[in-house]
Amino acid sequence: MAFDIDSSAIFPIGAATRTTPQIAARKSYDVVIVGGGVSGSILADQLSQAGHSAVIVEAGPGKDVQLDEYEAYLSRFYAASVKDNQAPYPFNPNARMPRSADAMPVTPQTPDDQYYIVQDGPFCTDTTFTRVLGGTTMHWEGKALRMLPEDFDTASRFGHGRDWPLGYDDIEPYYRQAEQELGVSADVEDQRYLGMTFPPGYVYPMRKMPLSYLDQVVARGVDGMRVDLDGDRYDLRIRSFPQARNGVPNPDYDGGKGYQPIGAISTYQVEEGKRCQGNNNCVPICPVQAKYHAGKTLAKALRTGKVDIVTQAVASRVHVDKESGRISGIEYKRYQDPSSPEHTTHTVHGRVYVLAANAIENARLMLASGLPSTSDLVGRNLMDHAYLLRWALLPEIAGTFRGTNCTGGITELRGGRFRERQAGFAVDIHNDGWGWATGSPYSDLLAIVDGQRKHGRDLRAALVSQLSRQLLLAFMIEVAPEPANRVTVDRRYRDPLGNLKPVISFRVPEYSLAGASFGFDLAGQIFTRLGAEDHTTYDPRDYSYVEYAGRGYSIRGGNHLAGTHVMGKTRHDSVTDPAQRSWDHENLFLVGGGSMPTIGTSNITLTLAALAYRSASFIDTQLRTEKAPAVISAR
Amino acid sequence: MTLPTTRDIAPGDITTIEELQDYLYRGMQLEHATIPVYLTALYSLHPETNADAWHILRVIAIEEMLHLTLAANVMNAVGGQPDLTKKGFVPTYPARLPDGETDFLVPLQPFSEDAVHTFLQIERPRKAPEPGKRIVARSRAHDPEVLQADQHLDHRPVIGPLLTVPGRPEEQFYSIGEFYEEIIHGVTYLEQEYRKQGKTLFTGDPSRQVTPEYYYSGGGEIVAVTDLESCVKALQLIAEQGEGLGGGIYDGEGELAHYYRFQQLKIGRFYLPPDEPDRPTGPPVTIDWAAVYPVKKNPRMRDYPQGSQLRAAAEEFNKEYAAFLGMLTRAYTGQPQLLLEAVWQMFHVRDGIVRLVRNPLPGRDGVNAGPTFEVDGATP
Repeated sequence: MAFDIDSSAIFPIGAATRTTPQIAARKSYDVVIVGGGVSGSILADQLSQAGHSAVIVEAGPGKDVQLDEYEAYLSRFYAASVKDNQAPYPFNPNARMPRSADAMPVTPQTPDDQYYIVQDGPFCTDTTFTRVLGGTTMHWEGKALRMLPEDFDTASRFGHGRDWPLGYDDIEPYYRQAEQELGVSADVEDQRYLGMTFPPGYVYPMRKMPLSYLDQVVARGVDGMRVDLDGDRYDLRIRSFPQARNGVPNPDYDGGKGYQPIGAISTYQVEEGKRCQGNNNCVPICPVQAKYHAGKTLAKALRTGKVDIVTQAVASRVHVDKESGRISGIEYKRYQDPSSPEHTTHTVHGRVYVLAANAIENARLMLASGLPSTSDLVGRNLMDHAYLLRWALLPEIAGTFRGTNCTGGITELRGGRFRERQAGFAVDIHNDGWGWATGSPYSDLLAIVDGQRKHGRDLRAALVSQLSRQLLLAFMIEVAPEPANRVTVDRRYRDPLGNLKPVISFRVPEYSLAGASFGFDLAGQIFTRLGAEDHTTYDPRDYSYVEYAGRGYSIRGGNHLAGTHVMGKTRHDSVTDPAQRSWDHENLFLVGGGSMPTIGTSNITLTLAALAYRSASFIDTQLRTEKAPAVISAR
Repeated sequence: MTLPTTRDIAPGDITTIEELQDYLYRGMQLEHATIPVYLTALYSLHPETNADAWHILRVIAIEEMLHLTLAANVMNAVGGQPDLTKKGFVPTYPARLPDGETDFLVPLQPFSEDAVHTFLQIERPRKAPEPGKRIVARSRAHDPEVLQADQHLDHRPVIGPLLTVPGRPEEQFYSIGEFYEEIIHGVTYLEQEYRKQGKTLFTGDPSRQVTPEYYYSGGGEIVAVTDLESCVKALQLIAEQGEGLGGGIYDGEGELAHYYRFQQLKIGRFYLPPDEPDRPTGPPVTIDWAAVYPVKKNPRMRDYPQGSQLRAAAEEFNKEYAAFLGMLTRAYTGQPQLLLEAVWQMFHVRDGIVRLVRNPLPGRDGVNAGPTFEVDGATP
């Protein structure tokens, strides 16, 4: 009987290992993709469906995406004593990942070379990205907010940031495509705010995630709260966030065809993860794969039979033909054993090249390759959301630590005229309590056992009382692009394979700090309305401590890396054109967050996935043109 | 499979709506009866070991819950009352799930080669010797092994009601598939007769149907039953998920049938499409038979000393399981949204079982406790 493999979550057995560096080197692919994350997987899928051949060069390890490999990540996470967002993923010096625990205060002029990212200051970012097959979508939280229409021209509108060469309406159809692929749960009625529009009859693939009990407790204090800002009035309410996480399929989706959630990926039928179970472990890994990760798209791409993968292959150089400016190959270093720097060097060739390695790695590779840049903007305008955390203890048990990491929050202050003065923000209510700020629940356990000497019933009672009342508000604050915030390389800093490491210079812009300051006060008002006891403290010795207008804050990174190869209208003021094609190299596409001129107050994955879909159609056209037989007409 | 035809079909064993509802109740009983068996084996696995066995058992347990819900949908569609709280709905283990000529006993037991053998018996695909002979006489005399086992039991195994022909306890169906075949024949026949009188069999309140919004299974989709076509679809899904479609190893939705899922544990290899029966070509299945808690076979409340913490935990579990069945009954009788709460309730069921299977029975060297599923009389 027919087996509907297209709609299944089957990873074709042997597909990730069917080529070798030697075989790949002899082939000429239609498209060479650096990075097996969300952008690379979408492009591999779209282009192979269109009949083109592709090879993905992936720095991290990865055999077939098989359940036991995924579950080895889980076991590593369970056993890890420090449960940061890279805890599930093995330490791999050859494709080393930044970890939040690496962050420490920067001493001016003497960058620390012991971690992957070399921080040049003045601020130290704790931003991370994940270098395994599936990329950072393995550890992401899964929020899938669209950008607001006003986010696309903040320079003209508010005098901050850069204008996009595209508008909301240009991207809207691709947002829908991305929402389908990522499997977004949300209700259109909830998301139609601040100018966001949807075509008539559109519904998200799945219904919104229900607000957690904690959200509902917070809503009692927030709903109906009024904020007056720059002459505008905002009536706040707790709203559900769109999430790339399997919820209840909406039967009205796709003109009444409905939606089939994609669960756990494996080489055999598993049938797990088609619904979120509320494990509250989205970051750093969903135990059942109910959260989208790029392995789901990659499995689909590999089922076409037209996509090869080379793993443990760290791209080290982009070769360019000096005469034509066209890219002629991608050189990479292949290691056999993550614990040994021994490697072999290989090159893959294709018609079109795509760098899809994330904003820091794309820029690092371009700069390490010494590629010319007309605009001098490669690596500049590095952005990541600035997070301000404020935390308190609620007067009642509120069920904290249930549900997904975050289900609801405040979104009214993402947009408005105040953005002429201060950054917008979205506010997350964290169902995982104070975890991000203090290391809860592990830190509470230690404090209660070691500090208060409690055990048995008393210990359990203390844990419930302390954990289930925790409230953490995270303000995800817009960071506008600034050329001085940048990724560079420096010949002094290399990884064990000899690749140049990224050097980051970053400062949180005053515009964002003005938003943070406003958010700090707003959180205080919310705590008062809820009768919550504030526990927020910021340590001046903290690596991310900044002062603004007489007050100090700790600012965390959001791992929403963007801006290092911004798109624009001309080669003089941007790195790529609106299709994410390099202005300087006609067969090179730089895709991902790096192309985004601004990030507004949206987690970047949905937008960069939409951009990948948009670019796929341009690359398809370009490949068809290049592959078409030349027609010589006699006159 | 019998499909509705335009030609008049002859009556089978089911000739009245009451008989049909009786069959459906037994269907629900049958689907449920496998769940305690599979859950006991599932949670007997040591944590973070035996992932392959874990996933196979897990999917099947969940699909049995789908079958239970599908049967409830059919029951509601024909105006019946699903009730999982009736005395005797949950069998006393070891229970009989008579299958074919030789009866066998289904015990509550930890994961083991014996358990896998039983699972294969439960899900075994078998066709009756000839069409029209899907009912056979029960012949327990052929089964010395079972008779011998009976002598050591502390209770008389429940003869039926599972798979026996309602009203004729001396007869039984050849296999689970044959049982559903008879129901499909019955609904088709009854609907034909009702239509002749300008009526329909499907008069149930559609708002009682459990729809995909309220229910998801690991594999297979819930079918809302409103007419003959959807009714046959629901019943066929139950039968096919157990034993495959038309002799193949997959059901109509491309799901590997239960029998073949379990067979992977025996053969030690996963099936991949388009494999043929008995010849899986997928990756190897890894099993550590020793990484299992030594749960007592067929534990009963009387195994737990009065006043012990184990007894309290076992009692609490039975009460919670009874409450869970009560909640399912409410969900199946007009409040389908309650099934969303069933998700965390299932975590609760898991925790209850885990608490028992990880603790040794005092005085029984090397044997651990287990859930007894004695819910009758266990008031929530």
